[in-house]
Amino acid sequence: MIKIENVSKNFLINGKEERVIIDFNININKKEIFGLVGETGSGKSTLLRMLNGFIEPDCGKIYLMDRELNKESKHELVRDTSMIFQDFNLLGNLNVLDNVLLATKFRKGNKEDLIKRAREILEFVGLSDFERSYTRTLSGGQKQRVAIARTLMTSPKIILCDEPTSALDDKMSYEILKLLKEINEKFETTIVIVSHDISVIKALCSRVAIIEGGKIVEVLSLNPKEIHPISYKEALISD
Amino acid sequence: MINNYIETFSKYQGQLLNAFIETIDMMFTAMVFTILFGMVFGFIMFITRADGIYRNKLMYFLVSGVLNVLRSIPYILFIIVIIPFNRLLIGTGFGVDASKIPLSLIGISTFARFVEQDFLDVNKNIYETSYALGANTLQYLTHFLLVEARSGLILSFTSTTISLLSYSTVMGIIGGGGLGYLAISEGYQNFNYSLMWIIIILMIVLVHFVQTTGNTISRKYDKR
Repeated sequence: MIKIENVSKNFLINGKEERVIIDFNININKKEIFGLVGETGSGKSTLLRMLNGFIEPDCGKIYLMDRELNKESKHELVRDTSMIFQDFNLLGNLNVLDNVLLATKFRKGNKEDLIKRAREILEFVGLSDFERSYTRTLSGGQKQRVAIARTLMTSPKIILCDEPTSALDDKMSYEILKLLKEINEKFETTIVIVSHDISVIKALCSRVAIIEGGKIVEVLSLNPKEIHPISYKEALISD
Repeated sequence: MINNYIETFSKYQGQLLNAFIETIDMMFTAMVFTILFGMVFGFIMFITRADGIYRNKLMYFLVSGVLNVLRSIPYILFIIVIIPFNRLLIGTGFGVDASKIPLSLIGISTFARFVEQDFLDVNKNIYETSYALGANTLQYLTHFLLVEARSGLILSFTSTTISLLSYSTVMGIIGGGGLGYLAISEGYQNFNYSLMWIIIILMIVLVHFVQTTGNTISRKYDKR
């Protein structure tokens, strides 16, 4: 589904060329939930942005669905991917329904069918009663659900998640992780998730790449367990 | 004293109405050009600046430089030095129509700066979101930037309109007429201070009306 071949990326930081990503090679399978972990500045978010063509690699090649991602193909391929951001990136001047419908404005489709589909997706993410609400009235978890609903509107084959739970408390994080798992199972979507939170990676990912100093030091296979909600008491007294 | 003002108002109401219509005529044209070109130049500066999505030093320098020059010439001198340009454009350097040109230019240069600033206030990650959702640059402008910056843009346009109203008062020097010209020529220079004060009060009411309307619309469209 995703093939990363000898990808490197340098950035000019304070006038000095720094190697952020050094010779990455990863294969991510269809329907897989793949994790990227590493310290801040290790290049995980940069890699995620290279996977939808927002940032171009300096060298190496990226293939999505067996097609090479380059200047010519990226605007077409990006339509099969979607991204979930740490800060949700919703438009505050649009209500929930309009935020969810936003991506469909750049694609063909019958307006009434799209609204019907948006309502179905809002029901799936548990926000049916909030379609006319504005984002300022929503909690962090609800905002991320809107962002996920927006993501699902385009039926993406790949979802890229950049720290999707880092702005949320434990309970909200659990809700979002459960939702991502359901999406992966129901829609067979490939998910690439960047997180500094090990529990998030352990809960979701079948494989994880550990990034240190701009290099992949290891790719581990994990056995994700069923996700359970955890109370503050449980979290405090558990080892 | 009040009677004196009422008498002056009755005597000059025809001239006041004509001057008001001239002011509105000048303002309307200038506002249309201001909103169109100010938006375009503001967007160009926003995307070509050093941290913009299409960084282009030369383009930014040119647009920003021209707008700065327009804003830095004292307005009364600007009206005079632009007379040949008026002639070139509409065949005459004087009159209400000619007055619309410097008024539009100063409006565009003022509003474009506001637009650039309003766009800068929008969450920068919105561009990445628009890309990830499959939008092109024009769709980024129309469906993301304008949506998020709209309340700021309305307030900026309100401020620009009030500035234009103020600038319009000196258009008399090239025969532009309007309320300001009537206040100076018939009021101040003919020692008819009642007329001058009536026009000042009219201008205060007009500015208050524009500002209140702008604030109300901006509040209505700000859902953040």
